[in-house]
Amino acid sequence: MASGEIFFEHERWGRNLAWSAGLHVGFALAVVGYAWLAGQSHGSNWGAGGGGSAMGVSLVSNIPLPANPVQTTNVLANESKGVATSKPEPQVEEPNAIPIADKNTKKKPTPQPTATKRKPTPTPVEEATNVVPFGEGGPVSGPYAMFSTGAAKGGFGFNGGGGDFGSRFAWYVRVVNQKVSENWLKYEVDPRIHEANRVYLTFDIDRGGRASHVQIEQSSGVPSLDQSAVRALERIDTFGPLPADYPGNHVSVEFWFDYKR
Amino acid sequence: MAGSFFPRAIAFGLWLLLVGSSQSGFAQDWIKTGTGLGVERIRIAVPEFKASNQDPRNGELLKTFNDTLWSDLNNAGIFDMVSKSFYPLGQIGAPSDVKFEVWNSPPPNAAMLVFGNVGASANTQTVQGWLYDVKNTQSPQVLGKQYTDAANTQAARTIAHKFADEIIFRLGGGINGVAETQIFYVSSRGGRKEIWAMDYDGANQHPVTTLGTISLSPHISPDGSRLAFSSFTGSGWEIRMFSFDLNRLVQFPRFGSTNLSPSWSPDGSRLAFSSSRSGDPEIYTVDQSGGNLHRITNSHGPDVSPVWNRKTGTEIAWVSGRTGLPRIYTMGIDGTNVQELTDQGYAVSPAWSPNGQFLVFSWMRHYGPGAPGSQDIYIMDVASKQWAQLTHDGGRNDFPAWSPDGRHIVFQSNRSGSLQIWSMLADGSNPQQLTSSGSNSEPDWSWK
Repeated sequence: MASGEIFFEHERWGRNLAWSAGLHVGFALAVVGYAWLAGQSHGSNWGAGGGGSAMGVSLVSNIPLPANPVQTTNVLANESKGVATSKPEPQVEEPNAIPIADKNTKKKPTPQPTATKRKPTPTPVEEATNVVPFGEGGPVSGPYAMFSTGAAKGGFGFNGGGGDFGSRFAWYVRVVNQKVSENWLKYEVDPRIHEANRVYLTFDIDRGGRASHVQIEQSSGVPSLDQSAVRALERIDTFGPLPADYPGNHVSVEFWFDYKR
Repeated sequence: MAGSFFPRAIAFGLWLLLVGSSQSGFAQDWIKTGTGLGVERIRIAVPEFKASNQDPRNGELLKTFNDTLWSDLNNAGIFDMVSKSFYPLGQIGAPSDVKFEVWNSPPPNAAMLVFGNVGASANTQTVQGWLYDVKNTQSPQVLGKQYTDAANTQAARTIAHKFADEIIFRLGGGINGVAETQIFYVSSRGGRKEIWAMDYDGANQHPVTTLGTISLSPHISPDGSRLAFSSFTGSGWEIRMFSFDLNRLVQFPRFGSTNLSPSWSPDGSRLAFSSSRSGDPEIYTVDQSGGNLHRITNSHGPDVSPVWNRKTGTEIAWVSGRTGLPRIYTMGIDGTNVQELTDQGYAVSPAWSPNGQFLVFSWMRHYGPGAPGSQDIYIMDVASKQWAQLTHDGGRNDFPAWSPDGRHIVFQSNRSGSLQIWSMLADGSNPQQLTSSGSNSEPDWSWK
């Protein structure tokens, strides 16, 4: 009868265990050390005055907050009130209560914000009549998207414009997706690597469509993979100008690359 | 994935072709695969534009406009055109006519919808066009444009080109479309070989020169104002210069002996060409005015067909016979740092891609007695020297040149029986014959 040892390959975990223990101890020491150091710097003087400078504060009737230029229909962030209203608690006057003479006798009229000072809210853009009622449109198409390229995958998230850039300008997100994946040359990755952790890049796209501030947010641990992702971005001269009706001057993008040969 | 075909899914990155094919070394088979897979082309529906009034000229204008717009978007290489048989009944002339649910679900299942109207009145025509993201019912408009021009079919064609280029610019990631570009080439249809020009799609073919001699290798300047070519003058081949501003030949010095294939630096300030004024052909550079001549190669055997790196302007690719059969090399513009790119066969006619990453060239990989002798267009990633074959349809294919968007290649081929100009997408797909009259060769695509 033929037999064979199937568990012949023992995992070597002693080294990892040592690392784990070492890091735990290190972390504990760091916590204790920080507490001690922080205590030192505060001493007994915390909360005492000095060092600062006076600041003038004056009361205004209202603050002209920047208005949302385009009323978006993102169900998670619009300015319309919800349909559910909570009923205010009725004020019950106690019939036998005697007003205290010294207090609350004179009520200063609270200054009402005058209508002239108020910034006129822009007339909201008319909504299309074919808006899908809330809850009936399936999942909200969020600012995240995915792509898969052969054996490799990537995806990204957009930031900017009140968080709904991805849903308002889905076509632009698609352009970014396509250009990055087209310019990612997998042969730049070390051929000995078969699988690697996800590498996260962040970058900004300015109004003209140029990518800037390309940074590795989280390395894959494989330098050639990190480098190939950065080079994909460097190869792109422009993504095309940001949509004309997008009010911001740039969007930030997080792009991830999953590599598997 | 080897051995399978994904022509649809290949999203223009020739870069992609390189990945799979070269790893198989010198194997005969070829595959189309790579990193662009999974990023599909944009599914776009382009229903016919609607007449906005009752003018009798509208029918003719609409036909020209609709045909041109469809052809431009179809040729762009980034769209999957939804077949017209899937379109719902009824014309769309304005945003209020759009019924999202019939377009964004099968059978059309379009991601993008192009619609609008055309109307002539008095001497002008007005075209309104929209591009809608029909999957995004909340804020669908990507583009809204209005054009006014003379009420003739030529203007309708121009408007369609401009609108198509706007759409391609938006959805193609900020790269200008090529609908308004031109191709220059050599044609013998008038008896002598003269320089001709045509629109990118083969329309509007017309002669540029009428010198009555033999003119070859036209190269348009980056700003499109001048055309350099070489012409037989009786004593030899000289570089000639045609100005489109003046609409005539302008002065350019004669260097003597045989001077061929002038090529522009990307800033338009210098030209590189081959000259045999010192014996065998060598590469020279010269100012666009003809002064400041520099010789940059110095070896036995011919050195010809220089082309500048169109992105950096700091390198030149050329053909050298220094080791016997012609091979493709690159060097700095001062002649240093010579790199050999092909190592076998017979390779000629390099052309550098607009992004500086690729060379296309014509290659007989197996050359000599008993070899099949087919001459095909190849693309090579200059940095990695990985290459892929782009033409497979027989015949002799030569003189490839890039479109300014880097998505198309124009070349000459005798696959149809006579020598004609063809274009294809830069991954080798979608070949189209652009000329059919006489013999046409040596195409060059304008820079914008």
